[in-house]
Amino acid sequence: MGGAQQGQSDRVAEHERVAAVRRLGVLDTEPEERFDRVARLAQQLFHVPNAMVSLVDADRLFYKAHIGTAVTQIPRRHSFCSMAIAEPATFVVEDASADPRYSANPYVAGDPRLRFYAGQPLVAPGGHRVGTLCVADDRPREFSAADRALLGDLARWVEKELIVEAELERAASVQAGLLPAAPPVLDGYDVAGACLPARAVGGDFYDWDVVPGGVTVTLADVMGKGMGAAIIAATVRAVLRASSRARGVDGALADTQAAVEPDLLGSGSFVTAFHARLDTTAHELSYVDAGHGLSLLVPADGGGVRRLTSTGPPLGIPEYVGERLVTRLALAPGDLLVTFSDGVLDVLDGTLASVDRVGDAVRGATSAQDAVDRVLALAPAGVERPDDLTVLALRRSGAPAGAPGHASSEGKDDA
Amino acid sequence: MTRMQLDRDVRPDGIAVLRPRGRLTMVAASDLKAVVDDVVAQGHTVVVVDLHETEFMDSSGLGALVGGLRSARAAGGDLRIARPSTQVRTVLELTTMDRVLRPHASVEDAVGAG
Repeated sequence: MGGAQQGQSDRVAEHERVAAVRRLGVLDTEPEERFDRVARLAQQLFHVPNAMVSLVDADRLFYKAHIGTAVTQIPRRHSFCSMAIAEPATFVVEDASADPRYSANPYVAGDPRLRFYAGQPLVAPGGHRVGTLCVADDRPREFSAADRALLGDLARWVEKELIVEAELERAASVQAGLLPAAPPVLDGYDVAGACLPARAVGGDFYDWDVVPGGVTVTLADVMGKGMGAAIIAATVRAVLRASSRARGVDGALADTQAAVEPDLLGSGSFVTAFHARLDTTAHELSYVDAGHGLSLLVPADGGGVRRLTSTGPPLGIPEYVGERLVTRLALAPGDLLVTFSDGVLDVLDGTLASVDRVGDAVRGATSAQDAVDRVLALAPAGVERPDDLTVLALRRSGAPAGAPGHASSEGKDDA
Repeated sequence: MTRMQLDRDVRPDGIAVLRPRGRLTMVAASDLKAVVDDVVAQGHTVVVVDLHETEFMDSSGLGALVGGLRSARAAGGDLRIARPSTQVRTVLELTTMDRVLRPHASVEDAVGAG
């Protein structure tokens, strides 16, 4: 390979390495105890003044943890961490001022007058060396094979912490990819949904899909957090969508259960779901509620809000022997259906009284989006939520029979 | 937010009584499941979970109870729950899981429910 080609492939490799650093989602974030803990331990075990968790970005080092210095970033050029990530092995300089390769280095000749450095490269899941766990001193030191092994063990610990963060990011993007992009255009109905994720990604999602004669709507919650729950949620969504084209709501849920039950039993998880099909001509909603229990029918005529109770067991609970029954509801003009996740309940007091509060909040909503906004407004702003808030609303247009506005909408039909 | 505490007792009749106190959510749920597995492995296959002081339970907590039920039944025993708070009872009723984990009014009732 010629020099130019080598340079080209080095540039590509470095570009990919920097992308891997950035994908970790750690650059420019606040210090965290889970990284500080490891750096502090390294500092104490090796009796050195400085210990850092560094990430080597394109042209700078960012210190996620920095014991013994207040500096959070330095230029990459001339840095020992940048040299350390060139090779997989521990990079050790026992006395920099006595070594002609480093004695003129600005970090050696000038501040902080570095003499000793030992850095263990941190490897990201894709194999890229993204940074180091390193210790440093302004006095020369010896660093034995046992010291190298210990630094290596501590670095593996930091790598695990880095992956936790990256996995949360990936799970969040899987979860975001589950949500439908734009509301469907329907004759005489509007539909809206929202999902506000908590920091720990859960397995909530909502969905809608236009089918011949109407639309299906779904709100489901996979017990658990992180990538595992997000992957099960993706499977539930895909199977429900595919199966709903040929089968009724109960058949679609049965197919979904068959598809995910082995995974659910293996992971000790389960799924609750509300899955409905609206016939936009007959104005009839058929639904199955698999242990969800958090759906409200708000009649436009001012009658009482009705909670739609579960019609069968969650997915993944073979101990509950029972059918999931299909229930049918007629929707009058102005009637509203709202279904939401237990995260909504939990920001209130978690009991059935908080279901009534949701009902009070959405009564009088003028559109599906208005109803969704009203439910989200129940959550206190600025408080970290333990669980996702997921809401889906469906509203039949128009005002109830006998109310002002009803006559005018009929008049329009005559025109 | 307080972390869950978990007390365990083995009665003279060999039945294990577990008392999770506080919030039975994600981290606490895996602790509870581990303790159920542990007492079942020691031969106490009938387990009563007294929920009187469980202030809050989410779906992860429910998952731990179901997981514990499976462990106990696999060993030929059972897991029963007693004295759930209103919030815990709400979670069981909404999800229909009260059909699988029937709440008992007292630990004694749960023990005798065989």
